[in-house]
Amino acid sequence: MDWLFFFEISLAGLGTGGLYALTGLAFVLIYKATRVINLAIGELLMLGAYLFFGFAAGLALPHWMAILLTLLLAAVVGGGVERLFIRPMLGESPISVFMLTIGLGSILIGVVELIWGPNPQRLPEFLPTTPLFLGEAYLSSKIAAAFAAAAVMVVAFVLVFRFWRGGVALRATASDQAAAYSMGINVPQVFSLAWVVACVIAAAAGMLVGAIGGIAPTMGVFGLSVLVVVIVGGLDSVFGALVAGLLIGLLEALAGAYLGGEYKLLATFSLLVVVLMLRPYGLFGTHEIERL
Amino acid sequence: MTEETQRQGERPVSPLRRRLLGYAAATALAGLLGLAGQNQIGSAQAAEEIVFGGSIPLTGVFAFAGEGVHAGIQDWVQIVNEGGGIEGRMLRYEPEDTAYKVDASVAAFKRITSQFQPNLYYGDSTAFSKTINPELERNGRMIMAGASFATELNDPDLFPLQFMAGPDYTEMFGILLRHVADTQPGARVAFVYSDTEFGRDPIEPGRERAEALGLEVVETIVTPPGSVDVSTEVLKLRRARPDYAIFHGYVQAPIPEFISQARQMGMETRFMGTFWSMDHTVVMGMGEVADGFMGVMPYRYYYDEAADAPMLERIREMRPEYQSTAYMQGFLTAMLMTEAVERTLAAGQDLTGSNLKAALNSIEDFDTGGIIGVPISLPGNSIPVGRIYQADTAAQKMVPVSDWIRLDQTGG
Repeated sequence: MDWLFFFEISLAGLGTGGLYALTGLAFVLIYKATRVINLAIGELLMLGAYLFFGFAAGLALPHWMAILLTLLLAAVVGGGVERLFIRPMLGESPISVFMLTIGLGSILIGVVELIWGPNPQRLPEFLPTTPLFLGEAYLSSKIAAAFAAAAVMVVAFVLVFRFWRGGVALRATASDQAAAYSMGINVPQVFSLAWVVACVIAAAAGMLVGAIGGIAPTMGVFGLSVLVVVIVGGLDSVFGALVAGLLIGLLEALAGAYLGGEYKLLATFSLLVVVLMLRPYGLFGTHEIERL
Repeated sequence: MTEETQRQGERPVSPLRRRLLGYAAATALAGLLGLAGQNQIGSAQAAEEIVFGGSIPLTGVFAFAGEGVHAGIQDWVQIVNEGGGIEGRMLRYEPEDTAYKVDASVAAFKRITSQFQPNLYYGDSTAFSKTINPELERNGRMIMAGASFATELNDPDLFPLQFMAGPDYTEMFGILLRHVADTQPGARVAFVYSDTEFGRDPIEPGRERAEALGLEVVETIVTPPGSVDVSTEVLKLRRARPDYAIFHGYVQAPIPEFISQARQMGMETRFMGTFWSMDHTVVMGMGEVADGFMGVMPYRYYYDEAADAPMLERIREMRPEYQSTAYMQGFLTAMLMTEAVERTLAAGQDLTGSNLKAALNSIEDFDTGGIIGVPISLPGNSIPVGRIYQADTAAQKMVPVSDWIRLDQTGG
């Protein structure tokens, strides 16, 4: 067995897994706080990548400024979407809200095609491109940088979620909305906060994904891969998203290397089936008991 | 009842009312006659015009190509019509957007064929070409070409009324491999392709072709559709150490990341692509890593100022800004189709699908005005001709690095 190859493949898989985990976090956050399965997360990610493209390539702003403006605008988009589309749907059937997010995804694709056109583009290089070797093992510098950025964001988010007052309110709302209301927590504001933070995370993931694979209006399909991640991890588990992201990244890489690229999705979906059979609420999801 | 009492029983009609009724009747009659006349004119127009229908992907994932194809067909139709049409009959281009969805393409085909009687049709995908084939044969009035270069379509027995304005994907591999064998006999090659019908198309026949040319296929790497990171695949490629790696089944991503990581690892592999990866904008959009990227292209690029390419000069006059290789494909497709119409009419035959296809297949050593740099023939469903171009990022141009390569009917 070529252990160096195994090590390199594993590193590459964990790098990709970091991106899955970051995007999965955006997905879980919205579900945890609002019980909305947001299928537009991939398109929000795509929008983030295009906003960065617009600032960095279109307006030729410095990269740091383009990143900040992208995150800021993503927050505005998140707040706007929640206030205009999601909040009026409060109390409606979950299927209606689910469908609304599908429609939102289509709208975002249309808007991006109108502004930037349908052609694939490359983002300006803002991640390091110098080769990175750990001993003899090669790791793509972009993947390493993206993993590091994702890790920093995840840790920052977990700390905020754990200790910041808004984060505590978010957790309280996720646990029990009625109790949160009775304790004086402004639940609608918490919903807005969840969408704002999730859109910022999605935009950051979009910039990282776009820096590696290029951007196109269809890149939102990445969000569908992440749907598998959050189902495996547990729809309402932040920890589950992190673990499942890394696990699926690793699994895909190993399947691709040793079985062939055509087995990557097969391996992922086989894992999904097994997890759903053994733990229908995901590896770390809340096991809800319905009492009749 | 006397005549007078009868008249008294009728309501008196005032002269004004009588006049108004008269005008109304006259107007209605004139309207009916006019409508009938218009219908006659419409029928006459329909009979005289030659309709070119199209299921064109103007939106959706393939819009970058659809826009070019659309412009190319439009321009050729304009050139023909400005020249008086074909034997006095004008061309009429009737496109409809499909968003690159088969159901929408089929619906567009049904709408266009029910409203007009197209003799020429452009389809947007392999799936559409295969789906509509029985209907095309049942209709029997038209020939069809399209955006697909699928090997499967290059079978005149199964697809008797279709063709492609270039080499099929297997022939593209054949042209690339011929160049590799000529440049570096016995070279090690790898194929990198997407796990789609498009991607898988030329892989197995390409492997056979490579072996026949004395080349060694050291690795075939498949990537799932839409994959972002290709680190795993590049690591596999590094171990295979090929002299050449041919990408197929992609437009742009993940080619630049692939090349970038391979360069970071110090690999000296030369990377190649097929038609849809080879547009100037797509290649230059890859950035610096594109420098030296090669591929097969059946058409000259828009900015080629070769002396024997007057048609490119004409295109540049019509459209001063860069036009894609998809534009050239649409333009040449329309040119070949109208050539078939011209030959059919000149022979005094009806414009049926089989007559048009026979006329198309009679094309031999045809001058495309320099769009393809050598005279072409179309004995079957494809034109197995192409040339290897290489990206020069400093000059921001695709430059030819081979002569025109023509394969024989066996692909050799």
